[in-house]
Amino acid sequence: MKVTIKQWSGVASWKWVANDDNCGICRMPFDSCCPDCKLPGDDCPLVWGQCSHCFHMHCIVKWLQSQTVNQQCPMCRQEWKFNNK
Amino acid sequence: MDESPDSKKAWALSQKIFPILNDFSTCNQEDTFFKSQFEELCNYMQANGLQDFLQQLIINQVEKRFRDEIVPAFWSYFQKSELHNKDLNQFYNAVKSLYDNYKEMDKITSGLELFRQCTHVTKIPYNEKTINNALKLILKATVLAQSPLNYQAVTLSFYETALRIEDVDSYLGFDSGHCAACDQDSCNCLHLLQETNRKLSEMNLLEPLVGQTFTNLSHKYIYTHIQKMCKDNYDSFITRLETWLHTVVIVWLRKMYSFDTSICLNEAMDTFQTKLVNYLYNSYTKIRINQLFNIVIEYPESLPALEDIRLCLPRTDLKPLLMKKLQRAMETRLLHHGVSTADILTAYVATIKSLKVLDPTGVLLESVTDPIHQYLREREDTVRCVMSSLTEEGPNDLAEELHKRGAVDENINVEDGDDDWETWTPDPIEAAVSPNPPKDVGSRRNVDIISMLVDIYGSNELFVNEYRNLLADRLLSQYTSDTEKEIRYLELLKLKFGDSNLHFCEVMLKDVVDSKRINQRIKEDSEYSESIVPLSTLIVSQQFWPPFKEEKLELHSKVAEQIKQFTAGFETLKGSRTLCWKNHLGVVNIEIELNDRTFNLSVSPMQATILMHFQDKDTWQLEELSNVMQCTASLLRRKISFWISHGILSETSIDMFSVQNVENKNLAKVVFCDEDFEAESAMASVQDQKDEEFQNIWTYIVGMLKNLDSLPLDRIHHMLKMFAFQGLTTECSPSELKVFLDRKVRKRLLIFSNNLYTLPK
Repeated sequence: MKVTIKQWSGVASWKWVANDDNCGICRMPFDSCCPDCKLPGDDCPLVWGQCSHCFHMHCIVKWLQSQTVNQQCPMCRQEWKFNNK
Repeated sequence: MDESPDSKKAWALSQKIFPILNDFSTCNQEDTFFKSQFEELCNYMQANGLQDFLQQLIINQVEKRFRDEIVPAFWSYFQKSELHNKDLNQFYNAVKSLYDNYKEMDKITSGLELFRQCTHVTKIPYNEKTINNALKLILKATVLAQSPLNYQAVTLSFYETALRIEDVDSYLGFDSGHCAACDQDSCNCLHLLQETNRKLSEMNLLEPLVGQTFTNLSHKYIYTHIQKMCKDNYDSFITRLETWLHTVVIVWLRKMYSFDTSICLNEAMDTFQTKLVNYLYNSYTKIRINQLFNIVIEYPESLPALEDIRLCLPRTDLKPLLMKKLQRAMETRLLHHGVSTADILTAYVATIKSLKVLDPTGVLLESVTDPIHQYLREREDTVRCVMSSLTEEGPNDLAEELHKRGAVDENINVEDGDDDWETWTPDPIEAAVSPNPPKDVGSRRNVDIISMLVDIYGSNELFVNEYRNLLADRLLSQYTSDTEKEIRYLELLKLKFGDSNLHFCEVMLKDVVDSKRINQRIKEDSEYSESIVPLSTLIVSQQFWPPFKEEKLELHSKVAEQIKQFTAGFETLKGSRTLCWKNHLGVVNIEIELNDRTFNLSVSPMQATILMHFQDKDTWQLEELSNVMQCTASLLRRKISFWISHGILSETSIDMFSVQNVENKNLAKVVFCDEDFEAESAMASVQDQKDEEFQNIWTYIVGMLKNLDSLPLDRIHHMLKMFAFQGLTTECSPSELKVFLDRKVRKRLLIFSNNLYTLPK
């Protein structure tokens, strides 16, 4: 018997490779989007800080803008720096 | 009587002049008397003041004669036998004999009249104007007093024949030369009829004796005529029927009454006609109401009939009957287990549309459709049916409704202006008695079928969820699916259910589009080679899709290798993201070459994997294969049976399968048992989801019972309603809760006694 696969149409779900499931700011899943967005993924990306915590980009930017003095990570209170890996 | 010779002579004389004073036997003798004798009697009577007495005596005799002889003879005709219906003679003969006798009596009374004139008698019996009138009165009274119970049967059949002669059009089967009554070419039926009527009229008996018969007969006749016309025919008949009534029934009645001088013909006919027209409308409406369920189902072919009913309803006051009948018909013919939900929905849509014709205010609709709503709410597949027919291709009421929706919206706003107070009409009286609290009139007027369906459940959410499931199924099963079409539907549904509710579906469709692009990008990558298996992947945003059914499956190493490559490609394309594969989902196009045959099939990944393993090795033990594929043996056996039914694999011994390289001709074509199994949804079923929700409730219940020791069912339900049900998609009813709790009791997780639930110690 010879079996030829002419077309394999599979299904997969994408997910962020992060050390947590939910965004620490909006408490929404990373794989979903921040409260201001409609579409997940490319339109509502994640960003990592040097402290290795990660958030929805829109969430952390909003947070940083609201902080007048120090730009700190809301989780660990270290100074927030984007980790551009 | 005085014994004087004068008086004796006078008595003899009066007996001679009025033979009726004698015994009956002699009364028919033709006695002659002379004018002088008559004058002598008159003088004597006057002189002695006996004229009144003599008149009374004669009248008494006349009455006696009628009572004992003539009228019984007349009625005896009716008892003779059940002569065959078309025979006109029975009644005619009766009337004729009565008439002859009447004439006889009339002769006597005319003698009496003469006597009265000579003797100046002023008093007239029974306060009538003339002796003749008194005679007629006596006759009428006697005839009616002695009438047997069933005499109408005879008159009815007599006049029915008469009517049939009149209604030539309805009996075109008869040759026009033929008589409808006796089936003979030349007969005197018509003559008989006329004679009978003339005689009855002359005796003033027409109306008292057969008036009721006329009414009954015309009613019966009209009713059967309408019934004959309306049977299985939903045309508009009301104008045709009215013309028929005027040209046939009324004309006939006029003929019947034409000899009757006692009444004013035109006036009487006018009232009769009004009554008959009224009756016609009434019967027509009733007959239509009895057919209403069929009429509704046949909509829009039955539109003329509906228009008729709409015209007739205000004239007949039959609305309550209509509601009752239609509701009953719905319950017996539609709302039971034998009817599929799709059919109920079709009927429901037809009901809405046709009742909108009957009653634009929608009050009628509301009360009639209430039972349908309640029933549909109990059916489990209603929502699925609604949503699938909404989005289905092809002629379909609901889909049409969805498409025209946009246009309808604007019109309603225009016509529903409040400033149009001059044409305002109050809601019909039924509005007050309908069980539902009266809603905003505006909402009732613009009946939108889809909203009505959605309102059955009180929320959009169920429908949106169902649509999401349907869409997910469709997208997963047809990879080449026409996303543009789906997007168009989505836009239409958004108009209906609101943007935010359908946001999930939007993401799902976007996933499909994005997946195509990503697939392409990955394949363009030089590092990715599609050497082993041509792979394309639908990449979903898990959070936005309905929960998938979880199933474990280890793919064949070749496919797994390809998938690994694809994942790597994805990871480089989209930094920090990876793929979680749903191995059991998807479609595989597969070509199978055996020694003597080839197959081209679309199968599930699991089935493809099975075959790939059999390609490596001809024979597998069930246990062994299930270990390799990481799935349960029972599931695997089910899947293998698909290939067995195709004649590709066979079970050589128990739990041992091998490839059937050469077709087994002896094997009869096995039925494709796996067909419905293939159609299974990839989504977790509603029941699964519900169970999960109940699991959440369970923690509440345990907490409740820990604190309060024991609780009855309704308390538990009440408290859950306050605290736990907010987040759930569906609220559970007390009965559902009871089923759930009873299951827990069976598992010994609860104790039920004295109608109280307690936790076991």
